[in-house]
Amino acid sequence: MKTLVLGLGNPILTDDSVGFRVIQELRARFSRPGLTLMESSASGLTLLDLIAGYDKVIFVDAIQTEGGQAGTIYRLGTEDLGDTRHLASSHGIDLVTALELGKRLEIALPQEIIIFAIEVADVNTFSEGCTPEVEKAIPLAVGMVAEELGGN
Amino acid sequence: MRKITIDPITRLEGHGKIEIFLNDKGEVENTYFQVPELRGFEKFSEGRPAEELPQITQRICGVCPEAHHMASTKALDDLFHTDPPSPAKKLRELFYSAFYVTDHTTHFYILGGPDFVMGPDAPVAERNILGVIGKVGLELGGAVIKIRMQNHHIIHMLGGRAVHPVFGLPGGISKGLNEEEIKEVQQIAKDSVEFGKLSLKVFDDIVLKNKDYVDMIVSDAYTHRTYYMGLVDEKNRVNFYDGKVRVVDPEGKEFAKYAPKEYLDHVAEHVEPWSYVKFPFLKKVGWKGFVDGKDSGVFRVAPLARLNAADGMATPLAQEAYEKMYSTLGGKPVHHTLAMHWARLIELLYAAERLEELSQDPEITSTNIRTIPTAVPDEGVGIVEAPRGTLTHHYVTDERGVIKKANLIVATVNNAAAVNMSINKAARELIKPGKEITEGLLNRIEMAWRPYDLCLACATHNLPGHPLLPMEVYDSKGKLIKRYS
Repeated sequence: MKTLVLGLGNPILTDDSVGFRVIQELRARFSRPGLTLMESSASGLTLLDLIAGYDKVIFVDAIQTEGGQAGTIYRLGTEDLGDTRHLASSHGIDLVTALELGKRLEIALPQEIIIFAIEVADVNTFSEGCTPEVEKAIPLAVGMVAEELGGN
Repeated sequence: MRKITIDPITRLEGHGKIEIFLNDKGEVENTYFQVPELRGFEKFSEGRPAEELPQITQRICGVCPEAHHMASTKALDDLFHTDPPSPAKKLRELFYSAFYVTDHTTHFYILGGPDFVMGPDAPVAERNILGVIGKVGLELGGAVIKIRMQNHHIIHMLGGRAVHPVFGLPGGISKGLNEEEIKEVQQIAKDSVEFGKLSLKVFDDIVLKNKDYVDMIVSDAYTHRTYYMGLVDEKNRVNFYDGKVRVVDPEGKEFAKYAPKEYLDHVAEHVEPWSYVKFPFLKKVGWKGFVDGKDSGVFRVAPLARLNAADGMATPLAQEAYEKMYSTLGGKPVHHTLAMHWARLIELLYAAERLEELSQDPEITSTNIRTIPTAVPDEGVGIVEAPRGTLTHHYVTDERGVIKKANLIVATVNNAAAVNMSINKAARELIKPGKEITEGLLNRIEMAWRPYDLCLACATHNLPGHPLLPMEVYDSKGKLIKRYS
């Protein structure tokens, strides 16, 4: 079984680096055949290129929700993103649409897609660390992904 | 006064907000195109070695990192007073051409194209790539994915990864292409040229043969008579990678032509209290407000502007397509904003042809790809044409090459004034007292800015990651009467 853990974000935009940070921590702890750990700033259609061919994909990304508390971690499936299908995506094409496109074009998409989304505070300032509440969430997110992987 | 807000703006990079204010009669009083705040980029780069800037600045945007990477690399050439060897320049342009193929493809099929292909009155759920594929067929959808993937592969070959490549150095590049790799590039280039031709055919079949669409393109609601700016080579032909900046006036006459170093003599930025985006304008004409015409310093950039500012294309099929567009639309310059979609496809074809040309160049597999800098760095300017327009990077360093000051004028920002004017005009034409404000009508207002292929991430030196702001329509009493998302 081929699994991809994909951390998304921007490493120089404060809390938007959280996805990358989780991958970096995982990389220090995990190494096994069939498991790929990757960071990417790609979005939309390019994501499709990255996830094709894997059986399972775990995304790790920053999220901002109305009234959300920074540091909260959500475990989502694509069915939770159903509502975003009709919403604009700032990246030009949202994940759900990209997946639907992949399905129609018969691209080998993963059967299982999980998203760990970490509520963040600041994605508007250039800096290389996360804000305190988000920093605290990183090890927790790492633990949740590890559990998902059936790991130590 | 009634307030209509279109928020989030759909199908572009980054996010922004359009607010439309109606007066008591229900006519458009004013419009404001807003983007969120940039925070701290210039400060972030201070104190860093200038050589890091091609990696850092490309992080500004996940869609056009190659553009920043290239502008930054050229700024470093200038900063360190080095001239790259010829094979390095050709490889940079090859890399850049592959990038253009992916980027323009993305815009036409995913961001801007769906409006035309599906029609502005199609339901929101269909005005995207899925609707397009439903209409033009799965095969074309597969071709879109394939062409993007193949050209990303070229970028990967040279830059080490597809998004945020590592490639440009002051005086050259870090990696070239060997005989085996170039054969791959040659095949991808051939496929890309075919795809470029096909895309123009799709545009012809779906847009140009549809009278309603053509009427929309040439209608006054989507027309502005502005100056146009773009990079040109020594024969005044469009070049994305290098050359001089050429500006033509609304009648198409050359107004200015300058080397990157001289940009501050020609372009200044106007500030409005209601927007974080600054509005560049032509210094020698002056800022006269958000108005058209020869006396207004407002200028436009990006595909249509580039074609208007040049005398032609440097490759044969693109030149043919260029001539066809101008003869169809009544000569040069073309002021119809919606024609940007057409110009973009002509550029897509040019990028593919240029990729093919360069991949056949005898020098392209040379290992002479770097001139090591020896001079003391001080100040440098690098200008490229990003898909979204003229992109300028300007660095000032100390004698060790550590950044003291970094100024970026990003592509989309050059169009900021024109975007505001386009929205304003479309809103005025479409919103009339007593006329119902439907989703289709609001989408027709959005169609006024989509041709500009905005990258608001770059405009605010920000990156999407924010929740998108909702679009809301308010009556004069501040009551929410419509939501658009």
